[in-house]
Amino acid sequence: MSRPFPYAFISCPCANTPVPDPAKKRRSRDSPQKSNPDKPKKPLLLPDDDEDEQTFDPRSPRANFSLYPPEQLLYCEDCHQIKCPRCITEEIVCWYCPNCLFETPSSMVRSEGNRCARNCFNCPICTAPLAVNTLENVVTGGTSQQGPWVLSCGYCMWSTLDIGIKFDKPTNIRTQLSKMTDATPSRSRQMSRTFGDLKSPLSTYSSIDEAFLPPGESKPDDPLDQPSAPLNPDARFNALKNFYKNQISATSSSPTDPLGMDFGAGFSSPGALNRIMSLYTSSSRLSSLYGGANKKPKTKPPVMREALTPGEGLKVPSSDAEDALIHRMASPDCGWDGLASLEQRAFQSPDARFVDDLLPLPVLLRTKRSKRCKSCKHILVKPELKPQSTRFRIRLIALSYIPLPTLRPLNPGPQPAVTVPPTPTVPGSTTNPNLDALSPLRPIQLLLTLKNHMFDPVRVTLATPSVTPGRVASKVTILCPQFDIGANSDVWDEALQGASATNTNTTTNTATPATATTSTSDPRGSRSGGLGVYEKVAEAGKVWDKGRNWTTVVLEVVPGTLPGGIKRNPKKYPANELEDTTKTNNNNDDDEENSNSDSDSDSSVALDWSGQTSDPNQQLQPDEDVLEIPVFVHMEWDSDNQIDQEQGVGRGSSSDTVKRELAYWMVLGVGRILREVV
Amino acid sequence: MTSTSSTTTFDDRRPISMSFRHSQSGRPSSPHTPQHHLRSNNSSFASTSSASTSFRGEEDAIIFEFGSRWLRAGFEGESTPMCVVGCGPEESRRVGDYRGWLKSNNETDISHSRLVKAEEWTGAYELWNMNLRDLDLALVDDKIERMFRETYNKYLLTDAGTSRLVLVLPSIMPHPLLSSLLSTLFSRWRFPSITLLTSAPMAVTAAGLRSALVVDIGWAETIISGVYEYREMTVRRSTRAMKSLLQETGRLLTRLSNGSEASQSADEISVKFELCEEVASRFLWCRSKAVPQGSTGISEQQPAESHEDEVKTTDQPAVSLAEETVSLPCPSGSGTTYIDIPFSKLAEPVDKVLFAEGLAECELDDEEKPLPLLVYNTLLSLPPDVRGTCMSRIVFIGGGSNIPGIRRRILRDVASLVEKYGWSPVRGKVIEQQRQKLQSLRLSQPQPLPVTKQGDTDDSPDSGTEKSTSEPQADDEEVDPVEQKIRRNNKDKDAKPPVQGVLREVESLGPWAGASLLTSLKIRGLVEIEREKYLQHGLAGATRDWEVHGHAPDRRSGLRTGGDRSSWTLAGWG
Repeated sequence: MSRPFPYAFISCPCANTPVPDPAKKRRSRDSPQKSNPDKPKKPLLLPDDDEDEQTFDPRSPRANFSLYPPEQLLYCEDCHQIKCPRCITEEIVCWYCPNCLFETPSSMVRSEGNRCARNCFNCPICTAPLAVNTLENVVTGGTSQQGPWVLSCGYCMWSTLDIGIKFDKPTNIRTQLSKMTDATPSRSRQMSRTFGDLKSPLSTYSSIDEAFLPPGESKPDDPLDQPSAPLNPDARFNALKNFYKNQISATSSSPTDPLGMDFGAGFSSPGALNRIMSLYTSSSRLSSLYGGANKKPKTKPPVMREALTPGEGLKVPSSDAEDALIHRMASPDCGWDGLASLEQRAFQSPDARFVDDLLPLPVLLRTKRSKRCKSCKHILVKPELKPQSTRFRIRLIALSYIPLPTLRPLNPGPQPAVTVPPTPTVPGSTTNPNLDALSPLRPIQLLLTLKNHMFDPVRVTLATPSVTPGRVASKVTILCPQFDIGANSDVWDEALQGASATNTNTTTNTATPATATTSTSDPRGSRSGGLGVYEKVAEAGKVWDKGRNWTTVVLEVVPGTLPGGIKRNPKKYPANELEDTTKTNNNNDDDEENSNSDSDSDSSVALDWSGQTSDPNQQLQPDEDVLEIPVFVHMEWDSDNQIDQEQGVGRGSSSDTVKRELAYWMVLGVGRILREVV
Repeated sequence: MTSTSSTTTFDDRRPISMSFRHSQSGRPSSPHTPQHHLRSNNSSFASTSSASTSFRGEEDAIIFEFGSRWLRAGFEGESTPMCVVGCGPEESRRVGDYRGWLKSNNETDISHSRLVKAEEWTGAYELWNMNLRDLDLALVDDKIERMFRETYNKYLLTDAGTSRLVLVLPSIMPHPLLSSLLSTLFSRWRFPSITLLTSAPMAVTAAGLRSALVVDIGWAETIISGVYEYREMTVRRSTRAMKSLLQETGRLLTRLSNGSEASQSADEISVKFELCEEVASRFLWCRSKAVPQGSTGISEQQPAESHEDEVKTTDQPAVSLAEETVSLPCPSGSGTTYIDIPFSKLAEPVDKVLFAEGLAECELDDEEKPLPLLVYNTLLSLPPDVRGTCMSRIVFIGGGSNIPGIRRRILRDVASLVEKYGWSPVRGKVIEQQRQKLQSLRLSQPQPLPVTKQGDTDDSPDSGTEKSTSEPQADDEEVDPVEQKIRRNNKDKDAKPPVQGVLREVESLGPWAGASLLTSLKIRGLVEIEREKYLQHGLAGATRDWEVHGHAPDRRSGLRTGGDRSSWTLAGWG
């Protein structure tokens, strides 16, 4: 599905621990009537204690949130647990622009809107990076006179000329752009804001560069009679903010009012809205809209009024605005491509609706983050500070602790004795089975190799449900579910031991002398695992192959038939297939045990396997044909004590070792099942 | 159906200022500000002199607005959220699953022909469904956790959990959902406290008002709340919202892609959700409703008040609009082929879903009233004073409010309802007869309308009020001596009478911006949940009785008194 077959995902064990709901403790203590009527049902079905016993269902919607590719997981050495992005906390180490790799100091990040403040822009149409180009390149005398500059996209050929923007100089594009596009630069307004001019919010506009002002706004003297040009959302927001501040300061501090603090501030501040939301109005408050009609007019509290002018942030849209919009949408020169898509509008101004409204977007900054274990605060990852550096000071990735699973199909039938990679010739005969088209009900054998990266030998127990959960029930058998993996060692050691190490292999491989000979003659053969194993037959209870720090076992899989495939032995399929997929996720585990016992009962009456059904629930859901095997991995090893480790080489002394174990679910993606029985 | 959600399909994009750009011919095609430029400037770092810097020395609060489809996140004091994150199937893929990036051809071949039930078709894209019966709360937890983590890592670029968190939520949330949301946030990160704010009053705040009628055309529901002095007075809901609109659009596209012969089973959709949402966000529009022949009274009265030109300009092009065709990417094709459909067809889903066209009112259930009727009913249920205030402050939020033409259409329909019935909930033939009898008794006087209806919604508010007060009209406003006295007493400043009794729309910056505004003004909400307290008892620790804990009505401040931090409350959510 997500990756080329075969693949492996590992489920972080943290998914099994539900989010603790503090209310539950209380609820159980309280009278039971308060609890949600739906709630008690669930614990009955899925008791919390048994949760570990349940089969992991890779198809449940929740599984998507706990499955990770093995290389993305971390490992905490203190907790001895796998750590996924959900069970770590992150701290930002530095901010940088992914385009120019300049670091942004933390004090500047917010003020720059989390975006690059230099010349890095993304195309608003196709998100490709924009380049600064000159329009003319005139060489006059010795100096080359370069003309106005534009931002242009090399991918979709968009440029800022399309929206009529040129730049005077090729540097500081962002400030130039914001000057051009901000009708009312808020910085200057905020700088010049004092309490004195708060009274008339429009008066602050006089400080702005007049060149960018629409004519209506340049004369703030008469704001009421002459409605100013509409403010853009940002300017409106600032106007509103000023207005509220003004009102709050005007209403809250009236010393003559005995109720001043309590009463006035109480209901004139907009923050009171939630507090008084559920209260009934008293008659005196009702009148406050009209300016206060208290019995004692002298102590009448000042009341915060609402915004009345556009300068205060009020905006009453004109009714023909929408008409113009509709006409522009309908006009033939706009069309589908003239309107901005949802994706394009995502980071643009809320008003942007047409492609012409889109502005180049400065590149979002990125961060380097150090990661800590959420439970013990141990640092798991600490990158180097410099944005350019890709190195890490600390990095505890899970793959150096848990065995790396790799899966590949076992070639059926004899192969030519030549060790040249087999040419893809006749499909289905001797070459690898096509994993994207597994034929249902035909058994395939897969080799699962677990490679140990720890310096301790590990004992692994694998477990898998005999029938995969879900409607498409494939049978899975692990031929040798319990085995050991040797310890990892230095590459140098390995090279030295080359010949002798293979001798140990022969003890396990005695059943197949052919392999033993190849591996002894060629030490590399032990690592690549089975160039010459073509004549071997998988046996139950036997490890397929074993190397210095890896072990391969055989999985036998019988892919199930898809609903809608050719009808064949409908009685074979267990009862839980009748559930639609959403429900299956909940019930699967309960049905799992009795599914086998039910298998001979006539259970598939309601299910139409012919594929002619119109009920979409019974049709094939997306990705339902992907054969994924949940495998429970349990590993045990003797590890050195923490204290001893500091002393160094005391490896192998059994008195100092601590027994460790780790268990997790793993999902092996085998392939896609074909619809027809071949 | 009280338990459902409000929020948006495509986010709060205001279509309005587009045409302002056209009207400002003086300005040479200056495009609008992208949010980040200004945002960068008004953050607390740039403006140390402004009062927006925190007085408590804590970091800027982070504001999240939750809808059933989108999550908006950003810092306080900024006008637009930093990002809008969805939670569709693409977002709930496994880590390392990059299928969304490789658009292979065979995949579309497989998927396009599948018929999906409309409910499932949209259900995959919802963060939650307020109907908790089928909802896997643990899955919601997972989604929220991932959305939050990615929002922090990708867009907010700040350490999660260090600063205060403000959540803007719909005013009705099922407790299990709220509890699971809070538990996830508190147990995953170390947020010191979480403040909850309701979306409707936030939208009012962001419009600069104190009272308004908030029409939230959200995802699962349209919620209309009458907010008076920042309090929600009434809330009415309808299931005619963006979800059913998208489903209807999906059916339309399915019919188109299957050709004319398609007599599909009605509830199934084969086109892709993404394509359908694109079509809906780009091209859906709303007719301004050709005035029906029966009630010419409206069409005469409206132009009578400075509306002459406007009606002409809208009606005449409406004819030409019907002939326009637009080309959409073929729903069944691979994306390179286009089909032409008449532009007017794209207004049909809106008409059918949101306005219940073609259905008699008596056939509709209580939960599926068309929007104009819902607005009218909400206004009707408000006390007259409040109604007068709210009807001239109608605020549209939610994804549906971005459909061009929909606001005007709703306002007009409400106006015609008022015209028809006045402000009386009584209907029926007998009533009508009695009314006519009474009218005939009343000599020559024409039937007085309880509310003066004016059409000058397009004028600026001040000129509008001046007209309404100064112009002597046939049915003049009742002169209220008390109110006059109040106005006389209230002699400070230029105190203008508040706009009342006129249907008028006021634009809001949206609930997120409202919350950002409030938080930056250092106003704390009533529902502030502290970490330790929550972790002890969860939602059950909230105080329910108001009288004991100082929120009694007579205290009326609603302010949290300094020492009273031992208990916390869920206020409206309790």
